[in-house]
Amino acid sequence: MSSLVSARNVSKSFGSVRAVDDVSFDIDKGKIMGLIGPNGAGKTTLLKAVLGLTDCEGSLSVLGLDPFRQRKQLMQNICFIADVAVLPRWIRVNQLLDFVESVHPRFSRARAEELLKRTKILPRSKIRELSKGMVTQLHLSIITAIDARLLVLDEPTLGLDIIFRKEFYGNLLNDYFDKERTILITTHQVEEIENLLTDVMFINDGHIVLHASMDALPERYVELMTSGENAERARQLNPIFERDVFGKKVLTFEGIGREKLHGLGELRTPAIADLFVAKVKGAAA
Amino acid sequence: MIANQVALIRRELWEHRSIYVTPLVIALIVSIMAITGQAVVSAFDQAVDIAIIGATNLGPAERAAGITVLMTGVASLLMMAMWVLTVFYCLDALYAERKDRSILFWRSLPCTDAETVVSKLLTAVIVIPLVTFAIIVVTHLVVLSIASAWLAFQGANAWHLIWRAAPLANNWTGTLIVLLALPLWLAPFIGWFLFVSAFTRRSPLLVAILPVVILPMLEKSLVGTSVFFDAFFVRTGSMPLFKGVSTGDIFAYRGDEWSLNGEVPSGLLSLVDLSRFFGSGSLWIGLVVCALFVTAAIYVRRYRDES
Repeated sequence: MSSLVSARNVSKSFGSVRAVDDVSFDIDKGKIMGLIGPNGAGKTTLLKAVLGLTDCEGSLSVLGLDPFRQRKQLMQNICFIADVAVLPRWIRVNQLLDFVESVHPRFSRARAEELLKRTKILPRSKIRELSKGMVTQLHLSIITAIDARLLVLDEPTLGLDIIFRKEFYGNLLNDYFDKERTILITTHQVEEIENLLTDVMFINDGHIVLHASMDALPERYVELMTSGENAERARQLNPIFERDVFGKKVLTFEGIGREKLHGLGELRTPAIADLFVAKVKGAAA
Repeated sequence: MIANQVALIRRELWEHRSIYVTPLVIALIVSIMAITGQAVVSAFDQAVDIAIIGATNLGPAERAAGITVLMTGVASLLMMAMWVLTVFYCLDALYAERKDRSILFWRSLPCTDAETVVSKLLTAVIVIPLVTFAIIVVTHLVVLSIASAWLAFQGANAWHLIWRAAPLANNWTGTLIVLLALPLWLAPFIGWFLFVSAFTRRSPLLVAILPVVILPMLEKSLVGTSVFFDAFFVRTGSMPLFKGVSTGDIFAYRGDEWSLNGEVPSGLLSLVDLSRFFGSGSLWIGLVVCALFVTAAIYVRRYRDES
């Protein structure tokens, strides 16, 4: 079985609001999946369902387990950083390592200590004495020292400066990721992870509006930058979205051969952020 | 399972240092009072000399009773502090992790919600009493040593008057039983406090105390009965652990001095009546109520979506 996460008709309601509405998808082993959506789209709810933090309707299986009912077994094989690093402020770094070591069978203390040596974090420090960046470094060091099959990151770099964010993703790729592991990540700063992802999933209003591998995107989507008469001709070909950039028109097409647009203007593969806007706004129009 | 409990309970002691700091501070104050007490007494040299001579003449039973009163006095001071500590501990136990939003980190580790809540219950019911007990024993030793030093200074035989007379094992066993029995007897409150700590969005103390005050008042004014009043307040002071006396009456003011009630005791243990304690229906009803609240607390931690 290569499918690590498998969701079939998963829904979750809060009162009358359907935060996640009849969603089905698979995530395979060895992928880095970006889950992208606006605030309130259902990203966090979906992640929580995957992590067994919330119950949901439909059938959801993670590593072959029911995440909500078998959370303990699940947590031995997956890791997550939810939101910004919120470690308990009263605990000391070495106490935190002691605790994780005693409850987590797959945690390597030696590995965590090795990672922490590269930082300015001292073992005797209390979390409240550390800067926000250091807390995230600590959290990431602990998570990285756990030999987990699935790593879930929910806005892991929120509130961190750009140097740290770059380092964070660099370390993630170089030190952590390999073909045996899978990463599921959400962020608002899509541009930063665009080159990292192998797969992408857009979610809006509780629905998945796109689920594709990054390699497949250039075939399926194309952006045409043009103006004037050419723009008018291009519109006949049913673009899914149109926007203005510096007085020029940018039209996004789905499932159309690039040769059809040849000669109408400049062609390129849309950036994830632009594609997301096109899919979400285009569907609304 | 057990390894996880050990780790979780150790975690509680890291977070709630007041579990041992508070009794240590009280022990220190008691010890200082013991020293100053001797100093004050020294001002009445002659009277004290007579008292010591009197003590020399007392029978072993009377001396044992006298020392038992002293030891029980020290122990009950720390026991009262323990209960206050337990209340605040329980109210904080499942609230702090939500307030500082670290709950998601704890839940990202392979510990179930049931394990976590149970570790907090065990901390309140077993760990806090055991820590308090250890500190009581040390305090007893310190206070008796101070008294011995003073007696020796006065030229009396401290070994004979204190150490041979003191029913140490008897008193300590009795103290340990009382310390472990109290949380069981007050278990419904512990359960309620943990439950409040798990669900309330703000001010757990207020949310926990208000119903305890308002329900008996409402009942009295609307129905005219006092079921809630009895369950909340009469229960607190009436632990059926001692032979023929309730906990509230364990000390009696007889004539012109405080002494232990009941039959002439050769130590605290001699007053303990475990069959009466475990034969009490109220105890078991209380434990069931506690179990219900704790289950509810687990349920809340597991099912509530914090975001």
